Amino acid sequence: MGASAGRIQPVALGVSSLLNCQGWEGRHLKDRRDEFVTYEASTYLHLKGQGTHLVAKEINRTQDKAPPRAWLLGVAAWAVPGLGHLLQGKWARALLLGGAVWAMFLVGLAIGGHLFRIGPNDQGFSATLQLLPMSANFGAGLLYIGCWLTNTGFAEQAQRVTYEYGNTFLLCAGLLNYLAMLDAFDIAAGRKQ
Amino acid sequence: MRHLLWMALFAALTAVVFGVVAKGSDRQRLIYGLKVLGEFLAVAFILGWILYFLPLR
Repeated sequence: MGASAGRIQPVALGVSSLLNCQGWEGRHLKDRRDEFVTYEASTYLHLKGQGTHLVAKEINRTQDKAPPRAWLLGVAAWAVPGLGHLLQGKWARALLLGGAVWAMFLVGLAIGGHLFRIGPNDQGFSATLQLLPMSANFGAGLLYIGCWLTNTGFAEQAQRVTYEYGNTFLLCAGLLNYLAMLDAFDIAAGRKQ
Repeated sequence: MRHLLWMALFAALTAVVFGVVAKGSDRQRLIYGLKVLGEFLAVAFILGWILYFLPLR
């Protein structure tokens, strides 16, 4: 009975002739149409003459489709680091994630890092080179946009010893906030506790 | 010394985020976060010593 989820096919729905039942935690199973759907896999059955099969009741085929609220919370999590978790009542996670991202961003600015953007002087390949780090910085949400509007943190300070550290802090603050955003989205969509 | 502190701060903040977004129980995520922190620091020390012996100047 130790078959993995990948080998188990839900061969029948609603079969009532149970010969043996064991508890089974719900998980994603691959159905006959090769789609991943969520089943309420509460029973694990021996069907007479057919070997062992999982018979599961499909509970919600649309469960994997995220509700609009999840998208809104994802945007909130991106805009203000920690807000996506805060709005869902995850105080500790909001404090830890938001605190880490805010601290990383502010420390990065304080120790001489600079933010990236595509300026008027960046043409062609130069603009392309700015795109990736700018995307990383953009992950910090309104922190980045606020700096962009006030023209703060875009000046290079290469003479400072901690200049490269600052850049790394700023880049990773944005990237980590993308992770936090996805986490908030998954929680709101019910894919994670 | 200042470089070491900034590197440790970076490792700590990153480990916090990795630990929080990881799956599992609180204890499992705490252990994962500590493991990430330890790996960051260990790799930094190892690479630092390797670079120290390389004639890069």
